[in-house]
Amino acid sequence: MYFLIITFGLMLAMRGSRPARLEKPGEGGVRVLRGAADFFLTVSLTLALWTVLVACEATQTTAREYAILGFGIFNYLLSRYQKKTEVFFLAAATVSFVISVKQADLLNGLSLAWAVSAGMALFQTCFLGLRYKLLFSRVPPSIKGWPVLCLLAAFISLTLWSLGRLVF
Amino acid sequence: MFLAYLPLAVFPFDFIRTGAAVSWIVLFLWGTVAFFWFTRRFFPGRSLKPAFFLWLLVWAQAVWTLTKLPPVWILSVFFLMPVSFLDDTVKARRIRLFSKEVPRYFFERALAGIGFAGFVMTMTLVREIAEKRLGIQVFDQPAGFLLVAAALAFLWKNQPYGKR
Repeated sequence: MYFLIITFGLMLAMRGSRPARLEKPGEGGVRVLRGAADFFLTVSLTLALWTVLVACEATQTTAREYAILGFGIFNYLLSRYQKKTEVFFLAAATVSFVISVKQADLLNGLSLAWAVSAGMALFQTCFLGLRYKLLFSRVPPSIKGWPVLCLLAAFISLTLWSLGRLVF
Repeated sequence: MFLAYLPLAVFPFDFIRTGAAVSWIVLFLWGTVAFFWFTRRFFPGRSLKPAFFLWLLVWAQAVWTLTKLPPVWILSVFFLMPVSFLDDTVKARRIRLFSKEVPRYFFERALAGIGFAGFVMTMTLVREIAEKRLGIQVFDQPAGFLLVAAALAFLWKNQPYGKR
Protein backbone atom coordinates (compact mmCIF):
# COMPACT_ATOMS: atom_id res chain seq x y z
CA MET A 1 0.00 0.00 0.00
CA TYR A 2 2.96 2.28 0.68
CA PHE A 3 4.12 1.84 -2.94
CA LEU A 4 0.64 2.84 -4.04
CA ILE A 5 0.79 6.07 -2.00
CA ILE A 6 4.20 7.17 -3.24
CA THR A 7 3.86 6.22 -6.90
CA PHE A 8 0.33 7.55 -7.37
CA GLY A 9 1.13 10.57 -5.19
CA LEU A 10 4.04 11.45 -7.45
CA MET A 11 2.01 10.77 -10.58
CA LEU A 12 -0.83 13.02 -9.42
CA ALA A 13 1.62 15.68 -8.26
CA MET A 14 3.08 15.83 -11.77
CA ARG A 15 -0.04 15.37 -13.91
CA GLY A 16 -3.02 15.18 -11.55
CA SER A 17 -4.48 18.62 -12.04
CA ARG A 18 -3.89 21.80 -13.92
CA PRO A 19 -0.49 22.97 -12.67
CA ALA A 20 -0.78 25.61 -9.95
CA ARG A 21 1.76 28.41 -9.91
CA LEU A 22 4.72 27.41 -7.75
CA GLU A 23 5.01 31.00 -6.55
CA LYS A 24 1.72 30.60 -4.65
CA PRO A 25 2.16 27.50 -2.49
CA GLY A 26 -0.96 28.22 -0.43
CA GLU A 27 -3.17 27.99 -3.51
CA GLY A 28 -1.41 24.78 -4.52
CA GLY A 29 -1.85 23.32 -1.02
CA VAL A 30 -5.59 23.93 -1.10
CA ARG A 31 -5.77 22.27 -4.51
CA VAL A 32 -3.86 19.25 -3.20
CA LEU A 33 -6.21 18.83 -0.24
CA ARG A 34 -9.28 19.26 -2.43
CA GLY A 35 -7.86 16.78 -4.91
CA ALA A 36 -7.22 14.24 -2.15
CA ALA A 37 -10.76 14.66 -0.82
CA ASP A 38 -12.15 14.19 -4.35
CA PHE A 39 -9.97 11.14 -4.80
CA PHE A 40 -11.16 9.60 -1.54
CA LEU A 41 -14.82 10.27 -2.36
CA THR A 42 -14.48 8.89 -5.88
CA VAL A 43 -12.77 5.70 -4.71
CA SER A 44 -15.22 5.31 -1.79
CA LEU A 45 -18.24 5.74 -4.04
CA THR A 46 -16.84 3.17 -6.47
CA LEU A 47 -16.16 0.69 -3.68
CA ALA A 48 -19.61 1.20 -2.16
CA LEU A 49 -21.33 0.67 -5.50
CA TRP A 50 -19.25 -2.43 -6.15
CA THR A 51 -20.15 -3.85 -2.72
CA VAL A 52 -23.84 -3.30 -3.42
CA LEU A 53 -23.58 -4.96 -6.82
CA VAL A 54 -21.68 -7.91 -5.36
CA ALA A 55 -24.22 -8.26 -2.54
CA CYS A 56 -27.16 -8.57 -4.99
CA GLU A 57 -27.52 -12.06 -6.40
CA ALA A 58 -28.65 -10.89 -9.82
CA THR A 59 -25.57 -8.73 -10.44
CA GLN A 60 -22.98 -10.67 -8.43
CA THR A 61 -21.38 -12.66 -11.25
CA THR A 62 -21.29 -9.77 -13.71
CA ALA A 63 -19.85 -7.38 -11.11
CA ARG A 64 -17.08 -9.82 -10.24
CA GLU A 65 -16.26 -10.79 -13.82
CA TYR A 66 -16.23 -7.29 -15.28
CA ALA A 67 -14.87 -5.40 -12.26
CA ILE A 68 -12.18 -3.49 -14.17
CA LEU A 69 -14.53 -2.43 -16.92
CA GLY A 70 -17.16 -1.35 -14.39
CA PHE A 71 -14.68 0.55 -12.21
CA GLY A 72 -13.20 2.22 -15.27
CA ILE A 73 -16.47 3.39 -16.80
CA PHE A 74 -17.89 4.56 -13.46
CA ASN A 75 -14.71 6.47 -12.60
CA TYR A 76 -14.54 7.96 -16.07
CA LEU A 77 -18.07 9.34 -15.73
CA LEU A 78 -17.36 10.63 -12.22
CA SER A 79 -14.14 12.33 -13.23
CA ARG A 80 -15.79 13.90 -16.29
CA TYR A 81 -18.51 15.23 -14.00
CA GLN A 82 -15.86 16.68 -11.67
CA LYS A 83 -13.82 17.98 -14.63
CA LYS A 84 -10.75 16.06 -13.52
CA THR A 85 -7.80 15.01 -15.65
CA GLU A 86 -7.38 11.62 -17.31
CA VAL A 87 -4.63 10.69 -14.86
CA PHE A 88 -7.03 11.22 -11.96
CA PHE A 89 -9.59 8.90 -13.53
CA LEU A 90 -7.06 6.19 -14.35
CA ALA A 91 -5.50 6.44 -10.88
CA ALA A 92 -8.90 6.30 -9.13
CA ALA A 93 -9.99 3.29 -11.19
CA THR A 94 -6.74 1.44 -10.56
CA VAL A 95 -6.66 2.19 -6.83
CA SER A 96 -10.33 1.15 -6.47
CA PHE A 97 -9.58 -2.11 -8.20
CA VAL A 98 -6.45 -2.84 -6.13
CA ILE A 99 -8.33 -2.11 -2.89
CA SER A 100 -11.29 -4.27 -3.94
CA VAL A 101 -8.91 -7.16 -4.63
CA LYS A 102 -7.15 -6.75 -1.27
CA GLN A 103 -10.21 -6.01 0.89
CA ALA A 104 -13.60 -7.52 0.22
CA ASP A 105 -15.12 -5.83 3.29
CA LEU A 106 -16.46 -2.32 2.61
CA LEU A 107 -15.35 -0.76 5.91
CA ASN A 108 -11.80 -2.05 5.56
CA GLY A 109 -11.81 -0.92 1.94
CA LEU A 110 -12.94 2.57 2.90
CA SER A 111 -10.30 2.85 5.60
CA LEU A 112 -7.66 1.76 3.09
CA ALA A 113 -8.97 4.33 0.61
CA TRP A 114 -8.76 6.97 3.33
CA ALA A 115 -5.20 5.95 4.22
CA VAL A 116 -4.11 6.05 0.57
CA SER A 117 -5.77 9.43 -0.07
CA ALA A 118 -4.35 10.96 3.14
CA GLY A 119 -0.90 9.55 2.35
CA MET A 120 -1.04 10.93 -1.18
CA ALA A 121 -2.13 14.34 0.13
CA LEU A 122 0.75 14.35 2.62
CA PHE A 123 3.22 13.35 -0.07
CA GLN A 124 1.95 15.96 -2.52
CA THR A 125 1.98 18.71 0.12
CA CYS A 126 5.58 17.93 1.08
CA PHE A 127 6.51 17.74 -2.61
CA LEU A 128 4.90 21.09 -3.35
CA GLY A 129 6.54 22.72 -0.33
CA LEU A 130 9.99 21.45 -1.26
CA ARG A 131 9.55 22.52 -4.88
CA TYR A 132 8.60 25.96 -3.63
CA LYS A 133 11.72 26.07 -1.44
CA LEU A 134 13.84 25.08 -4.44
CA LEU A 135 12.82 28.33 -6.12
CA PHE A 136 15.00 30.14 -3.56
CA SER A 137 17.92 27.70 -3.71
CA ARG A 138 20.83 27.60 -6.06
CA VAL A 139 20.17 24.30 -7.76
CA PRO A 140 22.92 23.44 -10.26
CA PRO A 141 21.55 23.43 -13.82
CA SER A 142 22.84 19.89 -14.33
CA ILE A 143 20.33 18.44 -11.85
CA LYS A 144 17.39 20.72 -12.53
CA GLY A 145 14.23 19.02 -13.76
CA TRP A 146 13.65 15.30 -13.35
CA PRO A 147 16.85 14.49 -11.40
CA VAL A 148 16.03 16.86 -8.56
CA LEU A 149 12.32 15.96 -8.59
CA CYS A 150 13.15 12.26 -8.24
CA LEU A 151 15.58 13.06 -5.42
CA LEU A 152 12.92 15.09 -3.60
CA ALA A 153 10.39 12.28 -4.02
CA ALA A 154 12.92 9.75 -2.72
CA PHE A 155 13.66 11.83 0.38
CA ILE A 156 9.97 12.39 1.11
CA SER A 157 9.38 8.67 0.64
CA LEU A 158 12.17 7.85 3.11
CA THR A 159 10.85 10.34 5.65
CA LEU A 160 7.26 9.12 5.43
CA TRP A 161 8.47 5.54 5.71
CA SER A 162 10.42 6.35 8.88
CA LEU A 163 7.48 8.27 10.36
CA GLY A 164 5.15 5.42 9.53
CA ARG A 165 7.41 2.91 11.26
CA LEU A 166 7.64 5.15 14.34
CA VAL A 167 3.87 5.60 14.56
CA PHE A 168 2.70 2.07 13.72
CA MET B 1 9.12 7.65 -19.75
CA PHE B 2 9.60 7.82 -16.00
CA LEU B 3 5.88 8.48 -15.39
CA ALA B 4 5.12 5.43 -17.51
CA TYR B 5 7.38 3.34 -15.28
CA LEU B 6 5.69 4.46 -12.03
CA PRO B 7 2.60 2.20 -12.33
CA LEU B 8 4.84 -0.82 -12.81
CA ALA B 9 6.67 0.02 -9.58
CA VAL B 10 3.49 -0.64 -7.59
CA PHE B 11 3.79 -4.38 -8.27
CA PRO B 12 7.50 -5.21 -8.29
CA PHE B 13 7.66 -8.52 -10.22
CA ASP B 14 10.79 -10.60 -10.74
CA PHE B 15 12.95 -10.13 -13.83
CA ILE B 16 11.15 -12.62 -16.09
CA ARG B 17 7.62 -11.55 -15.19
CA THR B 18 8.60 -7.90 -15.59
CA GLY B 19 10.02 -8.77 -19.00
CA ALA B 20 6.75 -10.42 -20.00
CA ALA B 21 4.68 -7.49 -18.70
CA VAL B 22 6.79 -4.85 -20.39
CA SER B 23 6.81 -6.80 -23.68
CA TRP B 24 3.03 -6.87 -23.57
CA ILE B 25 2.88 -3.12 -22.81
CA VAL B 26 5.17 -2.25 -25.71
CA LEU B 27 3.36 -4.54 -28.16
CA PHE B 28 0.04 -3.15 -27.03
CA LEU B 29 1.33 0.40 -27.38
CA TRP B 30 2.42 -0.23 -30.96
CA GLY B 31 -0.88 -1.92 -31.75
CA THR B 32 -2.84 0.96 -30.21
CA VAL B 33 -0.82 3.59 -32.08
CA ALA B 34 -1.34 1.76 -35.37
CA PHE B 35 -5.04 1.17 -34.71
CA PHE B 36 -5.84 4.74 -33.83
CA TRP B 37 -3.59 6.19 -36.51
CA PHE B 38 -5.59 4.43 -39.19
CA THR B 39 -9.05 4.79 -37.60
CA ARG B 40 -8.76 8.24 -36.06
CA ARG B 41 -10.86 9.88 -38.76
CA PHE B 42 -13.78 7.57 -38.03
CA PHE B 43 -14.26 9.07 -34.55
CA PRO B 44 -16.31 12.21 -34.90
CA GLY B 45 -15.71 15.31 -32.76
CA ARG B 46 -14.69 14.56 -29.22
CA SER B 47 -15.44 10.86 -29.21
CA LEU B 48 -11.79 9.90 -29.68
CA LYS B 49 -10.94 10.22 -25.99
CA PRO B 50 -13.80 8.05 -24.68
CA ALA B 51 -13.07 5.52 -27.42
CA PHE B 52 -9.41 5.38 -26.43
CA PHE B 53 -10.19 4.91 -22.74
CA LEU B 54 -12.83 2.29 -23.49
CA TRP B 55 -10.25 0.50 -25.64
CA LEU B 56 -7.79 0.56 -22.71
CA LEU B 57 -10.38 -0.67 -20.19
CA VAL B 58 -11.63 -3.50 -22.40
CA TRP B 59 -8.08 -4.73 -22.93
CA ALA B 60 -7.25 -4.33 -19.23
CA GLN B 61 -10.29 -6.45 -18.39
CA ALA B 62 -9.38 -9.09 -20.97
CA VAL B 63 -5.77 -9.32 -19.83
CA TRP B 64 -6.80 -9.52 -16.16
CA THR B 65 -9.26 -12.31 -16.95
CA LEU B 66 -6.69 -14.28 -18.92
CA THR B 67 -3.43 -13.65 -17.03
CA LYS B 68 -4.31 -11.84 -13.76
CA LEU B 69 -1.98 -8.98 -14.71
CA PRO B 70 -3.17 -5.99 -12.60
CA PRO B 71 -4.59 -3.19 -14.76
CA VAL B 72 -1.93 -0.65 -13.75
CA TRP B 73 -0.24 -1.25 -17.11
CA ILE B 74 -2.89 0.84 -18.90
CA LEU B 75 -1.43 3.90 -17.15
CA SER B 76 1.94 3.10 -18.70
CA VAL B 77 0.35 2.90 -22.15
CA PHE B 78 -1.46 6.19 -21.49
CA PHE B 79 1.80 7.97 -20.61
CA LEU B 80 3.61 6.50 -23.61
CA MET B 81 1.02 7.65 -26.13
CA PRO B 82 1.95 10.75 -28.14
CA VAL B 83 0.98 13.94 -26.28
CA SER B 84 -0.91 15.37 -29.28
CA PHE B 85 -3.12 12.29 -29.49
CA LEU B 86 -5.47 13.29 -26.66
CA ASP B 87 -5.23 17.02 -27.21
CA ASP B 88 -8.66 18.31 -28.25
CA THR B 89 -7.18 21.36 -29.92
CA VAL B 90 -5.02 19.33 -32.31
CA LYS B 91 -6.80 18.35 -35.50
CA ALA B 92 -5.65 15.30 -37.42
CA ARG B 93 -3.95 16.32 -40.63
CA ARG B 94 -4.54 14.60 -43.92
CA ILE B 95 -1.35 12.64 -44.60
CA ARG B 96 -0.74 10.46 -47.59
CA LEU B 97 -0.08 6.86 -46.72
CA PHE B 98 3.15 6.72 -48.75
CA SER B 99 4.58 10.01 -47.54
CA LYS B 100 7.80 10.29 -45.55
CA GLU B 101 5.96 11.29 -42.37
CA VAL B 102 4.37 7.89 -41.84
CA PRO B 103 7.60 5.88 -41.38
CA ARG B 104 9.04 8.68 -39.22
CA TYR B 105 5.98 8.71 -36.97
CA PHE B 106 6.02 4.96 -36.48
CA PHE B 107 9.81 4.93 -36.05
CA GLU B 108 9.49 7.43 -33.19
CA ARG B 109 6.82 5.27 -31.52
CA ALA B 110 8.96 2.16 -32.01
CA LEU B 111 11.90 3.93 -30.38
CA ALA B 112 9.69 5.06 -27.47
CA GLY B 113 8.61 1.46 -26.89
CA ILE B 114 12.13 0.06 -27.06
CA GLY B 115 13.44 2.84 -24.81
CA PHE B 116 10.71 2.18 -22.26
CA ALA B 117 11.43 -1.55 -22.25
CA GLY B 118 15.14 -0.86 -21.77
CA PHE B 119 14.44 1.59 -18.94
CA VAL B 120 12.13 -0.80 -17.10
CA MET B 121 14.50 -3.74 -17.45
CA THR B 122 17.44 -1.62 -16.23
CA MET B 123 15.45 -0.54 -13.17
CA THR B 124 14.38 -4.13 -12.49
CA LEU B 125 17.94 -5.43 -12.87
CA VAL B 126 19.30 -2.80 -10.49
CA ARG B 127 16.56 -3.60 -7.97
CA GLU B 128 17.14 -7.36 -8.21
CA ILE B 129 20.88 -6.96 -7.64
CA ALA B 130 20.64 -4.31 -4.93
CA GLU B 131 17.78 -5.90 -3.01
CA LYS B 132 18.47 -9.62 -3.32
CA ARG B 133 22.25 -9.86 -3.83
CA LEU B 134 23.53 -6.85 -1.90
CA GLY B 135 20.68 -6.67 0.61
CA ILE B 136 20.30 -2.87 0.44
CA GLN B 137 17.13 -2.20 2.41
CA VAL B 138 16.22 1.05 0.70
CA PHE B 139 15.18 -1.01 -2.33
CA ASP B 140 12.37 -2.58 -0.30
CA GLN B 141 10.54 0.73 -0.63
CA PRO B 142 9.86 3.32 -3.35
CA ALA B 143 12.86 5.44 -2.34
CA GLY B 144 15.13 2.85 -3.97
CA PHE B 145 13.77 3.15 -7.49
CA LEU B 146 13.39 6.92 -7.10
CA LEU B 147 17.09 7.27 -6.28
CA VAL B 148 18.03 5.09 -9.27
CA ALA B 149 15.66 7.12 -11.45
CA ALA B 150 17.32 10.34 -10.24
CA ALA B 151 20.74 8.94 -11.16
CA LEU B 152 19.53 7.82 -14.60
CA ALA B 153 17.83 11.18 -15.23
CA PHE B 154 21.05 12.96 -14.25
CA LEU B 155 23.11 10.80 -16.62
CA TRP B 156 20.58 11.28 -19.42
CA LYS B 157 20.54 15.04 -18.97
CA ASN B 158 24.31 15.34 -18.87
CA GLN B 159 25.28 12.93 -21.60
CA PRO B 160 28.57 14.09 -23.15
CA TYR B 161 27.36 14.21 -26.74
CA GLY B 162 23.85 15.43 -26.01
CA LYS B 163 22.35 18.39 -27.81
CA ARG B 164 23.26 21.71 -26.27
